[in-house]
Amino acid sequence: MSSLSAAFGLGGSDIDPALRETIFARFREKTGRMTSSTSTTTPSKHAFEARVADVKAPKSDINALILDYLMMEGYPMAAAKFSKEANLQPHREDPSIRARQEIQHAIHTGDIETAITALNELDPEILDKDPQLHFSLLRLQLVELIRQCNGGDINPALEFATKKLAPRAAMNTDFLKDLEKTMALLIFPHESLQPELAALLHSDLRRKTATQVNEAVLLRQTKRREAAIRHLVKMRAWAESSARTKKKDLPDRIELGLHGDDNDRRDGTHENGLEPMITT
Amino acid sequence: MARIQSPPILSQIRVARNYSEQVASLRALKDEVVGHAQRKEKWVQQGVLESLVKILQGNRPPSSLGGKESRSYTGHPRNLTEDELVRLQSLQLLASFANGGPSFLGPLHAVGAIPAILYNIFPLENPPQIVLTALRALCNIADATSLAAPGSDDAGALAETLFLLPGYLNAMYDILASDSTAAVVQEQKCLVCQLISRLCKETNQQNTLADAGILDALATMLASFVVARGEVVPRAEILGEPDGLNEMIPDPAPRGANLAAVLEAISAIIADSCFRAYQLICSPTIMAVFPSAEFSPSANQTSTAWNALEMSGLSSHRAKNPGAIDYLLPIVPIKQPRSLSSQLAQFPPLGFSLSRENLSQSTPTFSGWTPNRFDAGSRNSETEAEEAESPLIPWLIHLTRTTEGLERVMAASVLTSLFKAGFANPDREIALGVLIVPLLCQLLRDSVKEKEVNPATQTSAFVDQDTAVEWAIVERTPGVLARLVADSQPLQQAAHDCRAMRMACTMLKNTYEPLYTQTAPRPWSPNPDRDVDLSEGLSTCRVGPPGKLPIYAHKIKMRENSLKLLAAMVINDECRKALDQDIVPYMVESLFPVPAKPKSGKEKLKATDKVSEVILPIDNSPYGNNPNSVLIAACHLMRAFSRSVRDLRTTLEDNGVAMPIFRLLKHPDTEVQLAASGVVCNMTLDFSPMRESLIEAGIIKVLCEYAHSLNPGLRLNSMWALKHLVLSVENSLKKHILEELGSGWLVRLICDETEDEALRARARSERRGDPNADDDEDMDTEGGGGGGYQDDTTSWSSKYWMWTPKYRTPCPPKFAALRAQSPRMLRAEKRLQALREAELNPTRKARTDDLAIQEQGLCFIRNLMGQPSASLMEMVDHVFEEIGQDILFDILASKLRVKVLHPFTRRYSAGRDTRVLYPQAKVIEAVIYVLVHIAASVPRHRQLVISQIDLLKLLAQHFNSKDIGVRGALCQLLTNLVWQDDSSDATACGQRAHELRKLGFLAKLETLEQADSELDIRERAKAAVWQMKTGNS
Repeated sequence: MSSLSAAFGLGGSDIDPALRETIFARFREKTGRMTSSTSTTTPSKHAFEARVADVKAPKSDINALILDYLMMEGYPMAAAKFSKEANLQPHREDPSIRARQEIQHAIHTGDIETAITALNELDPEILDKDPQLHFSLLRLQLVELIRQCNGGDINPALEFATKKLAPRAAMNTDFLKDLEKTMALLIFPHESLQPELAALLHSDLRRKTATQVNEAVLLRQTKRREAAIRHLVKMRAWAESSARTKKKDLPDRIELGLHGDDNDRRDGTHENGLEPMITT
Repeated sequence: MARIQSPPILSQIRVARNYSEQVASLRALKDEVVGHAQRKEKWVQQGVLESLVKILQGNRPPSSLGGKESRSYTGHPRNLTEDELVRLQSLQLLASFANGGPSFLGPLHAVGAIPAILYNIFPLENPPQIVLTALRALCNIADATSLAAPGSDDAGALAETLFLLPGYLNAMYDILASDSTAAVVQEQKCLVCQLISRLCKETNQQNTLADAGILDALATMLASFVVARGEVVPRAEILGEPDGLNEMIPDPAPRGANLAAVLEAISAIIADSCFRAYQLICSPTIMAVFPSAEFSPSANQTSTAWNALEMSGLSSHRAKNPGAIDYLLPIVPIKQPRSLSSQLAQFPPLGFSLSRENLSQSTPTFSGWTPNRFDAGSRNSETEAEEAESPLIPWLIHLTRTTEGLERVMAASVLTSLFKAGFANPDREIALGVLIVPLLCQLLRDSVKEKEVNPATQTSAFVDQDTAVEWAIVERTPGVLARLVADSQPLQQAAHDCRAMRMACTMLKNTYEPLYTQTAPRPWSPNPDRDVDLSEGLSTCRVGPPGKLPIYAHKIKMRENSLKLLAAMVINDECRKALDQDIVPYMVESLFPVPAKPKSGKEKLKATDKVSEVILPIDNSPYGNNPNSVLIAACHLMRAFSRSVRDLRTTLEDNGVAMPIFRLLKHPDTEVQLAASGVVCNMTLDFSPMRESLIEAGIIKVLCEYAHSLNPGLRLNSMWALKHLVLSVENSLKKHILEELGSGWLVRLICDETEDEALRARARSERRGDPNADDDEDMDTEGGGGGGYQDDTTSWSSKYWMWTPKYRTPCPPKFAALRAQSPRMLRAEKRLQALREAELNPTRKARTDDLAIQEQGLCFIRNLMGQPSASLMEMVDHVFEEIGQDILFDILASKLRVKVLHPFTRRYSAGRDTRVLYPQAKVIEAVIYVLVHIAASVPRHRQLVISQIDLLKLLAQHFNSKDIGVRGALCQLLTNLVWQDDSSDATACGQRAHELRKLGFLAKLETLEQADSELDIRERAKAAVWQMKTGNS
């Protein structure tokens, strides 16, 4: 446990606090279960829980999962620290992880031009072969331009839209709709927008686009779209819901056990297993 | 023109002061063009491609096309030097331009981009990133080519450069054989595999790839997947030790390795060749992970089930000695089909089993490869025709069952190649029908169901990754299934049970949904007036017309493959009966290069009175123009259809197939002509209703012209069709056909290979300039003895051929030596050489072609004289007149003689100076029937036959022929010869009978009458004997 906190404490510069908390909690919960599986046995236990308790997840697997998450989501320093502290075999440096992090960062800060240049430097084929992704990025760039010219000169934004976005939008109705919506930002005052338009100015759009870009890069390089742990979470949700529709004998609620035993009751809203942090 | 206002970036690129400045401007350009089709066009028009190629040419890697590698390729990405960065950027830009689609192919070729790119694929001289980008650029060019309009197809040229030049072959080998686990190397391997599977289509390229060791490198990659999946045969390293194979087991496949790509490349190289299939099977790494050994685990439910099946008589010989891999497969009860039972009778009786005794022991036991048994086995191997099936085959079945999507299709494809080449046990056929066919049909069913295509994909020049993979699966599956079930009744039945027919029909129908946007639409441009006229300017700066949309290419491929699947199934009577008549118009439309809306036969007749006079639209059809591949597939389907007399007279006639086929017969492409002539063979039969209209349309002239063709297949098919045409027509027409064909040419076709010697020599000199052209030699056993790896891998000649992996694969010398002497390896090498000889020796192939054509030529003469019998005498005389009586008889006699060939004296031909060619039963039968027809004419002609003493003596040797046809024909001939027309012929007839008796024919006939195994022959002989005796009295 201390090794883990050391890893995150030192490498925390590139990891957001919420995530760190999640990983911590998950790790704590798992190790806790492994060390104290006998003591938690209570007489009222459901048969399912007894079976759950029987399953031993090897620590090395959990560590590999965490490392995979850090690598895939683009936290190179945390990954390096973690693998060192958790005594995993020194893994190969993924050459793209740093580049991915830079691209993400650029998108998060609204510097789309840098992001596109970096992406082209990493692998020009990504944008060349994915018009959808390219359009998303360019539209985000347009949003940023509009944001910059708020109330001032709208010519840069107009010119950008004409030259870079309009030729694409003419060929694809989805693109056209998106472009029209974005252009509406030029007309209406930003303070009193419809929720639909306001969403464009929200930082969620940046985050969404950043995730799209990250997934595209990952898919191209590792043939995987997302970290293994996300897959596991989805699979758990699917397994639970299909077990429930088939009326299998299950406890009413299956806790994720993310926040330790005492916190379980409080977290009851997410009983389908879809934990909000991970599914965003 | 557009060059006048050269933008600043371009001039910076051209006249950069130093590398870093150049890199910066190249980077800026990259950001400009990536993802922007319009701007790519603009830059090309300003001549940027030429500058890029110049940069690449100016910055060649240190020593390209270098000699033998001493270093091995590690593939660790390193930091690039500045000049390398310049190259990397330029290559990325070229790849991006190639991504723009077919319209950029013209300027790319004009500036010589491909050679410039190719300098950068040598993995030993270039950093891995550069190799990767160069390979990507090549792949993009290959992709763009597949969308280009037919005619501007440059894939062939690229394939020839890449696959026939030793330098590039070595580069590809080095990449594939690298044991680096770096991600970038895995991607390189994947791209090389893609290049191979996309471009390698010609037989000579496939052979060169196999000879250059690339097939073995791919086999090693496949073996590494076996290791990674943990499916190596237990104790393989011990079993491989005596053969020096134990060191050959590769490391497990690293992360990022792409199984589907490897399988697809293997399948592209093997295609339909026994030789290359066997080369995969006995590739050392495959032999190392898959030693053939019997395997008996201590207690296993599977083996218990096996024993149970065996007791109930539902298993066969193979199931008695299962290999380890067989335990991974479900047990398939084998009802022995009647056709197989005769073969199985040769196997040892079913009661004896080694494995059952071994069951009692607790440890797994192997038998079959203990040293003692091994030695004994190798001694006997000379006589053993079949060796044990490689566990690769059950493993591929297992792989197909346990993988998904593209991997499943490609595994099935490789499996199909091995099965078709005959390397699987006979009882695998049933297993494939139960285990593999339903899986492939399931893939088809999934694809037919998921029909809704994203509207954006309908018009987009790009498809997303998921759709692309899905399409790849759907495109390939019908083709693989078609190959698998072709010529196999049980498998056709299995596919039929899985409703493959119905799915193939649905797929074919779907491809005829009109598609109104076929080329990528031109994007809206903010300043349209500056659009430059596309037809102007230098070729290096001229952007070509846009290519087809990916969805269009997808549809056409689907059409081709569903037609192939239908053709493979329709052969089967039961499948044909189940076929919905609605689908036939779609098949017929596939015979038109520019198809119209598929209509049923009646509708069509209503619309146009005479189909042949319809003026075809020249432009694009909304249903998608049919390229040659579709036309050929449709012809094969029609041919399969025309095998059924009923369908020939109804379905094909009703749907007006004759004229489209005739038009295809005159198609400029030889392959299409060949396919069409195959259909014509059946359509010219005398009971075909289409015969008249074909003759009217002038088919005779076309066929006679093709009978003179250089292509042996075309010669054969046209002679075949002409043979059918001359049957039961008027004498004037018969004479006309003979005149059109030219009697001199007919003689050359049937006589003793003189013409074909010349043809062959010409073909040979075209194919290679090899002065040592091999002739009538069997394979050399001593050819593979010594020597090292030779660079000249393109030679066909067997004595120069070297099985490279035996000598080349890197491993400690001790094992290499062991391997070189291992009886198992020697045996494999010997068999490989025999297969290679049988497949690649042009002389042998030419002889087979010749014999087939000779047979058809003789049958042509036979039919010329044959029905209607009233005209017999006139036609016999006509033939004698045209060909020359003596010449004809001489030719006929020569066909019956045993031929002794004297090969040139060569150092390898020791111990075997001559080669004997026995006449073939089919040819003998044809000869006899020609005589039968002459003898059926007037007594004068009968007398002529009788006077050919030599000929008759030769005939007498064939009474004990194994072929029923020959014996039957002989009886017929003798009956005819002693036939008595009227009383005036009586004395002559008696004389003839006397002559025949003198030659000993009566005795031979009587032997046949009494002792022949066939009732039919005994009856015919009885009639002939009776005739001879009455004629004599």
